[in-house]
Amino acid sequence: MPRLFCCSCLVPRPAPGMSKKPAAQPTLHKVIMVGSGGVGKSALTLQFMYDEFVEDYEPTKADSYRKKVVLDGEEVQIDILDTAGQEDYAAIRDNYFRSGEGFLCVFSITEPESFDATQEFREQILRVKNDENIPFLLVGNKSDLADKRRVPLDACRERAAHWQVPYVETSAKTRDNVDKVFFDLMREIRSRKSDDSRATNGDVKRKKRRIIKCAIL
Amino acid sequence: MGPPPVVTGISPKEGPPGTRVTIRGEFLGTSVIDLIGLKICGCDCLLSAEWKSKNKIVARSGPCKGRGDIIVTTRSGGEGTSTVQFRGYHESIGPVKESAVWVEEAAPPSLPWGRRPMSPTTYTPPDPLGLSTEGDECKFPEDELNEMFPDGSGKLSDDNFQPGWYLLEHHSNTSFEDLKAGMVFLQRKVEGQKEGQLSFLKANTGAVMDQLDRLVLLKNMYEEDQRKNGKEPLPSLQSAIEESIKLADSLFSEILSRKENADKTREALSLLMRHKFLFQLPASIDRNIRKKEYDLVVNDYTRVKNLFGNTDVKLFQKILDEIDKKIEDLKQKLYTRMKTMPIHVQEQTKYIRLLISLNWEGDAAWVAITARKDYLMSLMEKVKDHFKHKEEQETNDRGKRKSKETEGEGVWSAWRAAWCAAACGALAAELHALWPLARRYFAGELAGEPADPQRHKDLKEMIIAGVELFSEHMRSCLLSGGGAVSADTLRTRLVANLRYLREAYDSLLKLDLPSQPLSIVEKVIFDYRVHGMTVFLQRALKRVKGLADKETWKIEEFTDYGAITNLPNLLETYMNDALSAIHKCVGSAGRREGALLADGSEPAAALHRHTHQILLAYSSALNDLAFKHPDQDFNNTSLSVALDQKLEESVTQSVVDGCSWQRRLLIAAANAHYTRRVTLTNIANTFENYGFPKPSQALQAAKEALSSLESTIAETYLEHKGDPLVGTIEPSMYMGRYRTDADALVDDARPYVYEIINNLIAVHAEVDSVCGPASSRYVRDICETVCEELARLAACAPAQLARAAAFQARLEYTLLHVATAGHLTRKAERMDNIVEGFKKRMELQLASLNCNMETV
Ligand SMILES: Nc1nc2c(ncn2[C@@H]2O[C@H](COP(=O)(O)OP(=O)(O)OP(=O)(O)O)[C@@H](O)[C@H]2O)c(=O)[nH]1
Ligand SMILES: [Mg+2]
Repeated sequence: MPRLFCCSCLVPRPAPGMSKKPAAQPTLHKVIMVGSGGVGKSALTLQFMYDEFVEDYEPTKADSYRKKVVLDGEEVQIDILDTAGQEDYAAIRDNYFRSGEGFLCVFSITEPESFDATQEFREQILRVKNDENIPFLLVGNKSDLADKRRVPLDACRERAAHWQVPYVETSAKTRDNVDKVFFDLMREIRSRKSDDSRATNGDVKRKKRRIIKCAIL
Repeated sequence: MGPPPVVTGISPKEGPPGTRVTIRGEFLGTSVIDLIGLKICGCDCLLSAEWKSKNKIVARSGPCKGRGDIIVTTRSGGEGTSTVQFRGYHESIGPVKESAVWVEEAAPPSLPWGRRPMSPTTYTPPDPLGLSTEGDECKFPEDELNEMFPDGSGKLSDDNFQPGWYLLEHHSNTSFEDLKAGMVFLQRKVEGQKEGQLSFLKANTGAVMDQLDRLVLLKNMYEEDQRKNGKEPLPSLQSAIEESIKLADSLFSEILSRKENADKTREALSLLMRHKFLFQLPASIDRNIRKKEYDLVVNDYTRVKNLFGNTDVKLFQKILDEIDKKIEDLKQKLYTRMKTMPIHVQEQTKYIRLLISLNWEGDAAWVAITARKDYLMSLMEKVKDHFKHKEEQETNDRGKRKSKETEGEGVWSAWRAAWCAAACGALAAELHALWPLARRYFAGELAGEPADPQRHKDLKEMIIAGVELFSEHMRSCLLSGGGAVSADTLRTRLVANLRYLREAYDSLLKLDLPSQPLSIVEKVIFDYRVHGMTVFLQRALKRVKGLADKETWKIEEFTDYGAITNLPNLLETYMNDALSAIHKCVGSAGRREGALLADGSEPAAALHRHTHQILLAYSSALNDLAFKHPDQDFNNTSLSVALDQKLEESVTQSVVDGCSWQRRLLIAAANAHYTRRVTLTNIANTFENYGFPKPSQALQAAKEALSSLESTIAETYLEHKGDPLVGTIEPSMYMGRYRTDADALVDDARPYVYEIINNLIAVHAEVDSVCGPASSRYVRDICETVCEELARLAACAPAQLARAAAFQARLEYTLLHVATAGHLTRKAERMDNIVEGFKKRMELQLASLNCNMETV
């Protein structure tokens, strides 16, 4: 199983190749934005990173962002990979997904098609990561456009419950819940990593804990 | 020194050279000039950098390969750091790879020398494990490999080849069993190479021998060649090559020239295609002009001007010139159309707009306005000439057949009415077109230079000129001639013409024209009304003047003022006719018109003047009737004869229309009297009823004239009646027995007294038959004359008259007094009054004096 070989041995190794950077780098959490085109992945990212909202739509290919944040008193680095929602770039997604530690699966509450598409994204992530408990948040964006809402809240909640993932509604425009989704995801990644370091002993325990956590949420 | 720049975001994070990247971060420079350095993967990209804000720079990646930091340098913060990395890669251009190339516009899709698929540029060596790499779609991310093997490479031929890389790259999906098999394969290969040379030779003896033979053969051939071509074979080779080059060139040049021709043709074709619009434009302009689709022409023209307006291509210029010429023609055509009257104003506006959009040099709308004005003027003149001409024809015709004169007049006024209607219609219609046009012009909708103050003045003058002309024509049309038309025609014409004028005026009012031209039209209407009034009054005057001929001396009625003929009634009727016609036709004012007969106004004065004339004319007609009789002789002899001769005789002699002259005199007086007392009051009432100002002066004058006429008649009558009567007294008094005996018994009056009384009775009868209650005046006057004569005769009597004679005279006077008691003059009445007074005062004395008289 080449996967096992790759994940457990190579990634946790503390930044082996980056000779340029100072040795004491804060922990890095790799977040990947997924979702259909135009749902607001880039908008969420830019809002989180730079507190700005971009009105005009410019399809993304693959953008990379990284900055230091303080997560529950601890300084960490968040690395955000903003992927393309447009089908044109679907072929290169697999590669990107592989490196992700946590996923924000975004759809627009004004666009049922984007909600439908989250199903496919979820499947693709599970296939690539081969891990049912990968840190994952279902994000309903554009909550400011409540009057144009076309995806009922119940349907969203139901799907999140089915996947056993949290569901959060955001607005990149009003910055509503923007920080929340990123920080929630980072917490999951962090707890997942500490699980992993213990999981070197046995991976049965890991799955158990995940289930408990979901129930709490 | 401020904080150093930090790049925290890159979009996109990878791409080939020239990728447009958005760099985000902090402290990326305070302004454009603060940014002094930008390196992406070590490539200097400052040249393409666009500084957007201190958080954002947009740049293009350089020709770098592999991952690298993005380093921003600012004057204020120095060299910065980066938390994200960009990866540059070179795209290999393959048959299915899209690439940015210049594609000839509208290039034919299938060219034989089009993009030919290119052979792959990289040679892939066979897999060393002997495994198939087909189907290994799931590639391992290259950056991870880069991370894991910082200095390694996955290429078999490279020095820093890393087997781990190679395995991850090519066999990440290969099963462990397969890999083991591959391992065995590789080992076998290595084993095979390790076996000794000897065994190799042994195994291949045949082949080695064969090779040796070949080598010998080669050596022999080489030596032979040297012998043949000398030590230096190269020059001949060179010449051969050169020759072949030449041949190839000649072969190719033909192909190349053909290709060149084809290219040119294609280029020309594509040019034609591209500029089809331009080349077809002259024809399509012609076509559209023919179809009157001027809008299309204008659009095409603007388009072509935009597209090719400043082209340098000779051919285009030629076509443009041609188009320009056509447009010039079109402009001329449109201009003429716009100017050619009559034209509907909407169409005209359309032409104006077209001219404007065609950049016609000149003020199209103003030209249109002027043209309209000229047209209005000429139309007026034309209408005038037309009807004048018709009228002249009519007059000539009438000259030929005089009998139909009245009918001719009717026709004449019909022409005038038609003229009036036509002119009114023309004025209204043209101003309705001109004024809105002008309004739009001055609202700036139709370009030109409406701001010019002179324009405003000109327009006003134009409109006034038009209206003035109209007014002038209408005056000459309506305010002259037309006397002899019958009253009814006159009235209907008047009403009709007034209606035309008012309709025109009304429509001008609706247009909201300035007040000056409006007042001109109003003046025409007003004058026409006054004219109508005058005509009616003149007609009445004429009729009144002709009254003398209308007198039949037939007594129509016995009134309190004597017996009258129908003359006073006729006067009243004529006056009524005139006034009611005035009231009906011209009296009422239309919209925004002045009242016709305002107090103290000129028309009111005219009305009074005419009334005055009419009444005086009436009075003089009566006068004429009373005194002027060509077949009558007013001398005394005839009168005396008339008195003396028998009645039948005098009737045959002096009666005209069954009426003697004295009777006429009296009838005339009665008419005058009646008129004075009744008719004038009626007329005054009529004035009042119609609301016209009361002609008090005229009435007063008429009254005076009539009463003086009455007096004159009375005098004349007295003169002609009294004189002969008086003249008979003296002769008949002394006829026969004047010399009476002084003592003869006087028992009766002399016959002259009876004669006097008889004569008086005759006069009384005559006067009474005519004047009725008013006759006393005449009888009294006659009595007075008789008394005066008697007094004269008495004075002439000799002083020593006998007592008997005195008694006789006294008796006769008393008898006369008794006879004429009913007709005493004021003087005589006075005496009676004195006597009565005396009797009253002295009643007691008289009674005492007369008591016991019966007993005697
Ligand atoms: N009203 C509103 N508009 C939003 C919101 N988020 C994004 N948008 C708008 O939606 C459009 C698309 O947003 P992006 O963030 O570029 O979409 P994306 O998901 O990154 O699209 P791809 O890059 O093609 O995958 C932009 O015009 C945004 O302004 C939101 O919360 N509210
Ligand atoms: Mg995007």
